[in-house]
Amino acid sequence: MSEVPTIRVVDVHKRFGSLEVLKGVSFEVHRGNVVSMIGASGSGKSTLLRCINHLETPTTGDIFIEGESLCFRGDAAGSRAPRPLSEINRMRRDLGTVFQQFNLWPHMTVLGNVIEAPNRVRGLSRKAAAQLGGECLARVHLEDKALEYPARLSGGQQQRVAIARALAMQPKVMLFDEPTSSLDPELTDEVLGVMRELAADGTTMIVVTHEMGFAREVSDRVMFLHNGLIEEEGPPDQMFGAPKSERFRQFIAKYLY
Amino acid sequence: MSETLQQLLDISIFWEYRTVLLRGLAVNFYVFVCAAIVALSLGLGAALLRVSRRRPLRALGTLHVEIFRNAPDYVMVVWVHFVLPLLIGTLLHTRFELNPFVSAIIALGFVYSGYFAETFRAGIEAVPIGQIEAGRSCGMSDRHILWRIVLPQVVRRMLPESINQFISLFKATTIVSLIAVPDLMYQVSMITQQEMRPLPLYTGAALVYFAVILVASYALRAASERWRNKIFA
Repeated sequence: MSEVPTIRVVDVHKRFGSLEVLKGVSFEVHRGNVVSMIGASGSGKSTLLRCINHLETPTTGDIFIEGESLCFRGDAAGSRAPRPLSEINRMRRDLGTVFQQFNLWPHMTVLGNVIEAPNRVRGLSRKAAAQLGGECLARVHLEDKALEYPARLSGGQQQRVAIARALAMQPKVMLFDEPTSSLDPELTDEVLGVMRELAADGTTMIVVTHEMGFAREVSDRVMFLHNGLIEEEGPPDQMFGAPKSERFRQFIAKYLY
Repeated sequence: MSETLQQLLDISIFWEYRTVLLRGLAVNFYVFVCAAIVALSLGLGAALLRVSRRRPLRALGTLHVEIFRNAPDYVMVVWVHFVLPLLIGTLLHTRFELNPFVSAIIALGFVYSGYFAETFRAGIEAVPIGQIEAGRSCGMSDRHILWRIVLPQVVRRMLPESINQFISLFKATTIVSLIAVPDLMYQVSMITQQEMRPLPLYTGAALVYFAVILVASYALRAASERWRNKIFA
């Protein structure tokens, strides 16, 4: 493809003390792609996602958002300096993140959560932000809960608000970090349903998940991480239909029961 | 005998002096409000130092908290009013004096900033890190996260404890009479010297303080609960 990838991860290593969680991961995500990252806990998939929005700083390696380096600022002379936080914050606006624990701000209403960043980070007027917020809430089917406080919502509803909050920044890519892992089983479907709709609308998404059904049906590409490396990747039909590596075979065998 | 007792207990003298006593009570409120503003601002500053990523700043915050939280308020009032001006005067080679109001507000403000710093810090640390990460990943600056995400929750979380501290601070304003700030206690002791009837005057003062603090604390608690219940369900 000649087009600049939306996200390009280049040889990312992440070390916490003596523990190397990521041992050199590279991949690209193009516009409209849905990429699922799967793997056992401790395989590094959440850390990788957190590196992409710079909540963790890669020890070495870099991430490019539409060709722009997230970790370094190059000048005309070709020298590279670490990118200052203010610029990282500007680049983060293009990445919508949905967390496992929802992380809504409890002192703001649902609409307040959704419009806070569009209003005060993007600089939209309150009116324009509220209009946009209403549209985002409609996409997660919660427009009637706009004036509730998060504590009054179910886990599934809270996670859908979190998705609306991320959408309201009109990001180039949505990052999902195990979005259904802290939900009761009967509440995961409403969240996965919203995510399927986003994927069908052409949203670029990177999803860390344990939902094999979702990974298989919705993704364009699946990446299986093991011990900080991409062990196997490919289109879901090929991955799940004819797994190549023994480790991936063992991993999916656990989900078939 | 009973007539003497009656005269002793006759609180009507308190009513006779109501204007001057009310003016004294107003002074208590004035000192309270100013000292509370000083204590809250310094307390917030010290708390932010204590949660800083930089070790020297954390140490500075801890130093502030430990010095002022462990200083008795009476000693602080006397020290600020009598010793601090001497120090400043010697350093500047001039005569330097502090208005008793200013001394009282500085002393009480600093002492209570030590307590408020700890309350603020506990409140800041109680905000889940995930909420801060959610702010960061929307591109918010640290300042934005502090003012819009963290502090509004801190205020709600620390309300019950700070009501107790406000009550202590209000009680502490009664010692400023010792440096001749004309508060209610000061007026009562002045009138006592003229009238020689300490019992109704001091009893009246005690009742006034009791009533004011009781009513204010009930009202504040009720208001804060209603406000908190909305978000901490």
